[in-house]
Amino acid sequence: MSTDYEIVIGLEVHVQLRTRTKLFSSADVSYGDAPNHHVTAVCLALPGALPVLNGAAVELAARAAMVTHCKLHPHSVFARKHYFYPDLPKAYQISQYEEPLATGGWLEIETPEGGARRIGITRIHMEEDAGKSLHEAGDPETQVDLNRAGVPLVEIVSEPELRSAAEAGAYLRKLRQLLRWVEASDAEMEKGQLRCDANVSLRRRGETRLGTRTEIKNLNSFRFVEAAIRAEAARQAGVLDAGGRIQQATLGFDAERGRLFVMRLKENADDYRYFPDPDLVPLQLPEERIEKIRAALPELPGAREQRFQEGLGLAPADACTLVSSRGLADWFEAAARAHGNAKHVANWVLRDVLAALRERDAEVEALALAPAAFADLLRLVDEGRVTAKSARSLLAELLFSGGDPAALVRERGLEAVSDTGALEAAVEEALAANPQAVASFQAGDAKSLNFLMGQVMRRTGGKVDPARVRELLAQRLARP
Amino acid sequence: MSEPLETVAELSAQLDSGVVSARALAERSFARLDALDPALHAFLFTRREAALAEAAESDARRARGQRRSALDGIPVALKDNIVQAGEPATCASRILEGYVSPFDATVVARLRAAGAVIVGRTNLDEFAMGSSTENSCAGPTRNPWDLARSPGGSSGGSAAAVAAGIVPAAFGSDTGGSIRQPAALCGVVGMKPTYGRVSRYGLVAFASSLDQIGPFAHSAADCALLLEAIAGHDPNDSTSLPEPAPSLTAALSGDVSGLTLGFLREADDTSGVAPGVRARVREAVAELERAGAKVREVSLPHTRFAIATYYLIATAEASSNLARYDGVRYGRRAADAAGSITELYERTRAEGFGPEVKRRILLGTYVLSAGYYDAYYKKAQQVRTLLRRDFDAAFEVCDAIVLPTTPETAFRLGEKSSDPLALYLADIFTVSANLAGLPGVSIPCGLDAGLPVGFQILGRPREDATVLRIADAYQRRTDHHRARPPR
Repeated sequence: MSTDYEIVIGLEVHVQLRTRTKLFSSADVSYGDAPNHHVTAVCLALPGALPVLNGAAVELAARAAMVTHCKLHPHSVFARKHYFYPDLPKAYQISQYEEPLATGGWLEIETPEGGARRIGITRIHMEEDAGKSLHEAGDPETQVDLNRAGVPLVEIVSEPELRSAAEAGAYLRKLRQLLRWVEASDAEMEKGQLRCDANVSLRRRGETRLGTRTEIKNLNSFRFVEAAIRAEAARQAGVLDAGGRIQQATLGFDAERGRLFVMRLKENADDYRYFPDPDLVPLQLPEERIEKIRAALPELPGAREQRFQEGLGLAPADACTLVSSRGLADWFEAAARAHGNAKHVANWVLRDVLAALRERDAEVEALALAPAAFADLLRLVDEGRVTAKSARSLLAELLFSGGDPAALVRERGLEAVSDTGALEAAVEEALAANPQAVASFQAGDAKSLNFLMGQVMRRTGGKVDPARVRELLAQRLARP
Repeated sequence: MSEPLETVAELSAQLDSGVVSARALAERSFARLDALDPALHAFLFTRREAALAEAAESDARRARGQRRSALDGIPVALKDNIVQAGEPATCASRILEGYVSPFDATVVARLRAAGAVIVGRTNLDEFAMGSSTENSCAGPTRNPWDLARSPGGSSGGSAAAVAAGIVPAAFGSDTGGSIRQPAALCGVVGMKPTYGRVSRYGLVAFASSLDQIGPFAHSAADCALLLEAIAGHDPNDSTSLPEPAPSLTAALSGDVSGLTLGFLREADDTSGVAPGVRARVREAVAELERAGAKVREVSLPHTRFAIATYYLIATAEASSNLARYDGVRYGRRAADAAGSITELYERTRAEGFGPEVKRRILLGTYVLSAGYYDAYYKKAQQVRTLLRRDFDAAFEVCDAIVLPTTPETAFRLGEKSSDPLALYLADIFTVSANLAGLPGVSIPCGLDAGLPVGFQILGRPREDATVLRIADAYQRRTDHHRARPPR
């Protein structure tokens, strides 16, 4: 791609709110159940059915607005967006249009260059999801599953202020972290709980007007979002370089082939015939209710990160990693409190706990080990009652099965030989059995010390702190 | 032929005293239906066996001293756009042929809880769109006063069923006059409650911001009883008023002294009002004046825009509400549309909807289209606000507004079907109450050339009781509501 183009990206992100029931019906929100198992008269748009707003969804949407610094409007309006499709039972989607729930927010992202940048958020509105149309290979008929029809969503629309695929990825990750943090959404992309449409255009650097944009629909992984944006930017640059013009279009992304395809060309704007839904009253969110929701928010990751740095003395990069999810931050902090030395605990969490989670592709919620028990294990190490090596080997087991570290250490006979008398005896034994090594060491061969250490370790079954062995050996050999 | 079923109050008293059984009332109702309905065609569906069984259960309850309400054992009919579990709900449309509702409308659940016996489902203009009951895929209903004439509409079946004494009470829906106008043309009482007073859950939507379910009966007192049974907040309808059903029967004091009636200047001046209608309405006003009410003139200047406003808003909402009838999930599906989903939609809807419904869907779709929305839909909503303010101002100086229900008495079948606009214009006196959400009742106030004339009383929002109190006071002093069709 020619380097003199600037990429302009705006994201429309659909996020499924973490409610038990749908936005306007009492049907359960479910995933992976038998088709059309969770439908009511409202979901099926039966004659005479009426929508009733789920108050829990409003609260979660308000949280989403709060963590993105949007202004929540005390009065917003549900509108009908009309189009015919088999998985849209009413032939309109209840959404918000002229008067959305919230507007005018921002999100701070870390840019790939290492700086921080605020990305504007245009609006957040509530809406219901559509069902699913299923096309079986070889079957000319379309099957419709309405389990998803009516599931509550918020659409979060960014300003066209992202300037690279990497920034788009950073924005999405940040958004996901915040939404999960306040439990507004589980935001699991593979379950379709967070879906992204990307609007992409190019313009010559220095140009202030926006170029013609295309919209890439329904990107459902961070990787695809970035890959699709890169591919589309390269395609547009090629067209512009050849003197062509970009045609406004809706595109899909074929993730397997890494290629874009045209879903439809937009010659005219769609006419969805929006109008306020007369079955629903305007959504009133009085200031007191907004404040109540705000007061119940947990400490947000930014504040937590700062507290980890300033209060606990952690390095910025470590603090940042530890707040990547609220579960991890909570787990770490509970362990640090139980133990007392936050930096020490942080080192173990960042190195050993995260590695164990990565290996299992698991989240911190999968841990069976209580943070206090983890602190107990570290204390055993600190007190020399178990070696770091033994502790590490036990940790993998303890993390996912739980249990009392001290008991497990005893059960496995891994108590470190902390009895100085026993250790000294092992040293004497090793020295007596290896006079040549002693002689070489005294002749100046430093490597012989390592050999002698190994001999002591063997005699103690490895249950001894190597540093302590080295110290004792050095003392003993220094004696004439 | 068996005796007509008269007022709910009388029948309820007879049931209580044991002179008659609910089972006997149901049998009488079906006997009259069998005798009269072949000519009237007020009913689309009947539920004879279920109704007779329910009537027997009602008798058993009474025998045990467990009468549920004054409606226990009273036969009633439902307009075929109010759904009942296990029963068809076609809205007189081919597009819903074969459809059976799996759930009860809130109104139906409340009627059943009160012990009422639902005998069947009445004819209407397709999806309640019309004022003659001629736009029914099953053919028109006839007016019991003159079988060559229309009973009005869209709740023509319910009005005719009560007028003919097949049931003492029936329920309809009123979007722009669909209860009050047929009540007027059939010589019965028809009440449109305050918007939100009665749950719309289970009422097949025509225009959601205007639709309201209400009762037909022979007296205002019966309407109070019936409305009490179905009114009150419903969590399933977000637009229902938050408060529980008010006591209406208790408000029927028979006394109108101290009330001021606003005689609507525009209605009296409108050139289209038939002289006989004007005369009967003036007599009714004079009667209420003799009863102690003060009468003064009021004006609602924006009512001249009411018809245009109504047909913009109602069609816009209808185009949206009827979009769900697509042949995908229930009802009719075009048989030979395997080509594409678009073809399925087009054929299903082309075959399933009648011409008036199509006309309104087209109008409403146009009204909501980009580029026209502001000029039509938004403007109409602004005029609606002005109209509400007119009413607010009028209700500063009066407690109720009185006017004719319709400009003319019942018209001949077919007389207006070639001129939809003329039929729209006949809604002039009824649509304003829907646009403003007001309670309104139409009561018989005499005959003109042998046909009933309707007198309409509109009240402040939520003051359903005042409207019924005035209507009841009038009926205590006059006998017009006792007039019955010849036969």
